[in-house]
Amino acid sequence: MSDALLAVSGLIAGYGAIEVLRGIDLEVAAGEIVAVLGSNGAGKSTLNRTISGVLRATHGSIRFADSAIERERPATIVARGLIHVPEGRCVFPNLTIMENLDLGSYRRGRVRRESNRERVFAIFPRLAERRSQRAGTLSGGEQQMLAIGRALMAEPKLLILDEPSLGLSPLLVEELFALIRRINGEGIALLLVEQNVVQCLEVARRAYILEKGVFVLHGNSADIRDDPNLKRAYLGL
Amino acid sequence: MLTVVLQQGINGIVFGSLYVLVALGLTLIYGVLVQINFAHADVVTIGAFAAYFFTFAFGGNYLISIGIALMAGAALGWLVNAAIFAPLRERGNELLPLIATIGVSILLQNAMLLWFGPIPYAFDSPYSNKVIRLWGGTFITLQNLIIVVVSALTIALLYAFMKFTFMGKALRAVSQDRETAGLMGVNPNQLIMLTFVIASALAGMGGAMLGPILVLTPFAGTTVIVKAFAIVIIGGFGNVEGTIIAGLVVGLIESYTTQFVNPGLTDIVVFTLLLLMLALRPTGLIAEKREENV
Ligand SMILES: Nc1ncnc2c1ncn2[C@@H]1O[C@H](COP(=O)(O)OP(=O)(O)OP(=O)(O)O)[C@@H](O)[C@H]1O
Ligand SMILES: [Mg+2]
Repeated sequence: MSDALLAVSGLIAGYGAIEVLRGIDLEVAAGEIVAVLGSNGAGKSTLNRTISGVLRATHGSIRFADSAIERERPATIVARGLIHVPEGRCVFPNLTIMENLDLGSYRRGRVRRESNRERVFAIFPRLAERRSQRAGTLSGGEQQMLAIGRALMAEPKLLILDEPSLGLSPLLVEELFALIRRINGEGIALLLVEQNVVQCLEVARRAYILEKGVFVLHGNSADIRDDPNLKRAYLGL
Repeated sequence: MLTVVLQQGINGIVFGSLYVLVALGLTLIYGVLVQINFAHADVVTIGAFAAYFFTFAFGGNYLISIGIALMAGAALGWLVNAAIFAPLRERGNELLPLIATIGVSILLQNAMLLWFGPIPYAFDSPYSNKVIRLWGGTFITLQNLIIVVVSALTIALLYAFMKFTFMGKALRAVSQDRETAGLMGVNPNQLIMLTFVIASALAGMGGAMLGPILVLTPFAGTTVIVKAFAIVIIGGFGNVEGTIIAGLVVGLIESYTTQFVNPGLTDIVVFTLLLLMLALRPTGLIAEKREENV
């Protein structure tokens, strides 16, 4: 499948001597939503950080939009259209909402930032109301929305979301998954890391189950969702 | 009495704005690197010498010499970071670059000692004895007016840069969360270099304007830097607005202590204030919630 937007193969990475990812193969096609599921400490965030260039892979290859990116710096990878929204509160708390959004277009989409910003404000009216407020004053959910909005400013081809539903109320989680569908509807591919298994399998076309640094299973979301044994064995449901 | 109060206020603001120039560089570097730059004092000294030689050895205009000192500082900041600090940071050790700043400081001081000797230079600004009368019997020398205007313009420019340009926003982002800034496509190393260049340019131009006030020797910068450190701490470690306010406050306190208490007590008053701040408001004048940099 050389037509994949993102193709990871034989990826090994970790922190110093600690090997966290022990041979990962993963593909995301253009416009596809792919889920990565797994328990705490499985290495999901490490995988994201290696793909976006924050961490260096020790072995293996990562191809994005037909270029090898495993040796590139995060800035170059962002310029290619692979945008990673990291886990947790990752907005710049002392910058305003507008300034946070501006930084989203630092490397990509800068000339169209006015129209992109209007687009983001249309999706998140609450951000528009608070545009000159410090991001640190937003609620946890609003900060997550800002982080996603900021990523949209860079006109991503592939958006990596690391546990975006973390700490959101059930109502906001519903909103978030609707948003994910909407973003995907605009042709943006998503790599979705989640612990919210049920909803995640609903939006994703395919899913990978990560355990202790290797994928123990992957397949169509529907198959994983409908197989009770798989769910019990790997997802604790 | 009112005249004296006003007059000392003016003097305080003159000194304060020079302190702000010097302290802002420390603040900016602390902001992005969480590192104290001990060589900052020597950039001030080199700025003073650059202005001195430009004015007296080459007969240049003093105002232009401020610009020369600014460029000398910027060049030195670039050189020192490119040659020494950046390669050390690459190795991933936190302590090495800090120790290196002490090493660079000693190196610069001794180089200056070799070239310029230990005897103080008489650096008189041609504008020092031109007096401008102000309201209510107060006055300001043209030199001091230049100091206030140049400092205010520089600080305003820097503020606008930080606030309104992409680079300035990126700089603040790097100082809040370097990894996330990297995910925005910001190149942190480039921004760190920019910070060193700006900080050192400010120190250099501060030196040119401090030159006529200080006893100009290869160690001149050290006397100012101690106060600048105090200002950085009072202003809340890495907080630009806090540093500006703290610098002016320290300038005023010095001026009023000299006039109304005892000139010998100024440092005691300033550092008592520092200790009080550390005890009562460890986050500084403006409480900015800083995420701890990794
Ligand atoms: N900076 C680091 N240095 C050393 N080890 C780390 C570092 N970050 C993570 N690890 C280790 O790597 C392993 C995988 O961590 P990772 O954050 O990738 O897991 P995760 O699947 O994202 O977990 P969670 O669901 O809790 O976010 C863990 O054992 C963790 O302790
Ligand atoms: Mg994680």
